[in-house]
Amino acid sequence: MKGDDQMAIQEHEISFIPIEVPGMNVHMLPTQKFKTITIMVQIEQVLSKEVATKTALLSLVLKRATARFPEPQKLSEHLDHLYGAIFDVDVSKKGERQLLQIYMEVANERYLHNESSLVESAVQFVGDVMTRPLLVDGVFSTEIVESEKKSLQQRIESIINDKMRYANQRITEEMCKGEPYAVSPYGDVEDLQQIDAASLTEYYHTLLRENPIHLFIVGDVEASNVKEWITAHINLPERQPAAIPVTMQHTEEAVSEVKEVIDQLDVAQAKLNMGCRTHITYKDPEYPALLVYNGILGSFPHSKLFLNVREKASLAYYAVSRLESHKGILMMMSGIDSSNYEKAVTIIKEQMELMKKGTISEEEMSMTKATLYNQYKELLDSGRMMIEFAFNGIVSGNPRKLQDLLKEISEITIKDVQQVSEKVQLDTIYLLRDKKGV
Amino acid sequence: MKTVTFDQVNETLYYETLPNGLSVFLLPKEGFSKTYAVFTTRYGSNDSHFKLNGKEIRVPDGIAHFLEHKLFEKEQGDVAAEFSRNGASYNAFTTFNRTAYLFSSTDKVEENLKILLDFVQEPYFSGPSVEREKGIIGQEIQMYDDNPDWKVYTNLLQAMYQEYPVRLQIAGTIESISNIDKDLLYSCYETFYHPSNMILFVVGGFDQESITRLIKDNQAAKDFSQAPEIERVFPDEIAQVSKKQIEATLSVGIPKLYIGFKEAVNGLTGEALLKRELSTKLGLDVLFGTSSPFYQKHYDSGLVTEGFGFDYSNEHDYGYSIIGGDAPDPERLVEEVKQVLKMASEEGLDEEAFQRQKRKSIGLYMRSLNSIEFIANQFTSYKFNDIDLFDVVPTLEKITLEEVTERMKEHLREVQMAVSIVRSP
Repeated sequence: MKGDDQMAIQEHEISFIPIEVPGMNVHMLPTQKFKTITIMVQIEQVLSKEVATKTALLSLVLKRATARFPEPQKLSEHLDHLYGAIFDVDVSKKGERQLLQIYMEVANERYLHNESSLVESAVQFVGDVMTRPLLVDGVFSTEIVESEKKSLQQRIESIINDKMRYANQRITEEMCKGEPYAVSPYGDVEDLQQIDAASLTEYYHTLLRENPIHLFIVGDVEASNVKEWITAHINLPERQPAAIPVTMQHTEEAVSEVKEVIDQLDVAQAKLNMGCRTHITYKDPEYPALLVYNGILGSFPHSKLFLNVREKASLAYYAVSRLESHKGILMMMSGIDSSNYEKAVTIIKEQMELMKKGTISEEEMSMTKATLYNQYKELLDSGRMMIEFAFNGIVSGNPRKLQDLLKEISEITIKDVQQVSEKVQLDTIYLLRDKKGV
Repeated sequence: MKTVTFDQVNETLYYETLPNGLSVFLLPKEGFSKTYAVFTTRYGSNDSHFKLNGKEIRVPDGIAHFLEHKLFEKEQGDVAAEFSRNGASYNAFTTFNRTAYLFSSTDKVEENLKILLDFVQEPYFSGPSVEREKGIIGQEIQMYDDNPDWKVYTNLLQAMYQEYPVRLQIAGTIESISNIDKDLLYSCYETFYHPSNMILFVVGGFDQESITRLIKDNQAAKDFSQAPEIERVFPDEIAQVSKKQIEATLSVGIPKLYIGFKEAVNGLTGEALLKRELSTKLGLDVLFGTSSPFYQKHYDSGLVTEGFGFDYSNEHDYGYSIIGGDAPDPERLVEEVKQVLKMASEEGLDEEAFQRQKRKSIGLYMRSLNSIEFIANQFTSYKFNDIDLFDVVPTLEKITLEEVTERMKEHLREVQMAVSIVRSP
């Protein structure tokens, strides 16, 4: 009976089990639900202009070759051989923290004929990438570093291809000027020119020696095996007293006046972004109320933004709001005709006013809570999403249980939402428009 | 309900065709929180010219997509609120060949399924709301106009096809949708939304018996007229491409290049069509995949970038492959691709690489079965072509190197090739 109860809890909770491995935080979630095993390594770094470009370039260099697979083509063939393992190394940001991520997903050998040790091979490969890179005379191969510098430059330069993403990056730069959060996780082209194989190698060693490392594994695995594989295949250097916490500088500027920024490009549709500071982040007790606030305002098709900007005024195809939970930014986004700029801004500001006045129906509350409930429950069906949820808790310093968060959301009142709206301040209005007129 | 079990992937599928003609498929997945249901009609942007009970009808381009938007509207308001009350996520999409309505939820699955069936089967179109929708879809069209990936893709289709409607935008143009009114929407609805033209697929953590009962009761309680005789009218399409090259300008960091190859012979269905798809993809993977000598050489030289890749699409009446991505020097890359084609047709394909790609394809297929959204949509799309999603691995295993080599020779021919480029002004 006891066993059954535990299963029942696990099905509704995201319960990673810690595994003791020196120098690393290993989190395992055993489940038979998936046809694959997912492994994700997260290395934390402070988001800053000084290192952002290096971290980004490092992710690309590590991805290309290892000591065991010095030729990129051999590395790629090895992944094919592991039944088309999904493998990626990338960077991202969470609040004012940059992350270097190694992602690996392999088929559960249970579903393949006569195959074993596919998972161990995956752990071994992660170890190769992380701890046994290709070094020539002690430094990364100059050829690969130079070729990846070109790749990173292309990546940075092609952000403009996706106008939604571009507008988002531009407003972040303007809104958070002078704060670490303005830094892109890919860094910038200028800093890229300064990096060479020797300096990148030195940076790599420092990162591995000093920065917190997390390894998540989800799938049909057992703790004893995981521990054995990691110990055998991921050989970290002698580390400073285990996992130095990265000291986050959390900047929180009060808004004195709303900035307005307009950029012009050859576009058919204008992108309107309005960025707010909420002064609430993931760790705060008001966070569940902020989720409900955001849900009523703009994150769903029943939200005020969608209904008023799109359905009633017919100004846009999309009008949404999104949270950056670790920085506490709420971003409203819409694609409009530039001639409707003032009209759209007015309607959006009106919606924020309604939130402040508490003009929120019981139905808006219940729809938002029900939709949030479903959204969080859906995380349980994806290994990657469960890792993301657990990691958000870890980096915030307030790891919530899924069930606790759901309970907190269900208890939020209109008054709680109104209190959140008192804290939310519009900071910057950004418009990316065409080159006609003006 | 009948069942079929697929041991290798450990799945059991329940299926039945109801008396009104609706095909129902249920795939319960143990341990999943979420249920995903998709209700699809075999009606897409390509179907703008047809005969209904002998009468020939031409409708404005983009009407299938327009209809998809308007089906959410009901006399007493928007159906969106009903889903939202239950916390469900819902959506719809239109492709060249089908229109799908879907929801996912972890709770109140039965209520949500009933909402899905009822709103799709009870249309309500009104004049003013049709007019209002033109503004919204106008913005959707403009959003796509700014999207370089979409531009390079749709331009390529335009270059490849002389007449076939896949060369037109799914959403139509601002001009074409201005001609849509509620009567036209009703005509299209009556033609293409009969249950016999539709598939319902439900997958996830639901109770199979109660869901079966709900679907049967819900359908039995509704009256449907006799299934209409639909005859789609498609223009003849010759093998030769319409234009060798097409260019557009948009603000992009790096130019985009798509090279397309159009199928010359069509008309396949079922296993033959699946085999063609899988062997084409295997061949393209050997020649242009990330472990191909081509990719590695040109990644190092900077001619191809991270996003370089290929895809293949095949339907009963048309098919094409696309090779490309961000390309700093599109003209040179086209020449290099042509070199590979020449070499492949002279020397054939590498046996070891072929076996490796086969293995990779099997693993990737397994992985895709983690996604209940993928299962539902891919299953439906295949079913309209009489293909079974769970036949992929057995079919893959049977494909030989000789077949793939032959396939590459007949498919990758210069006369069937077109090039699309998007670059900055």
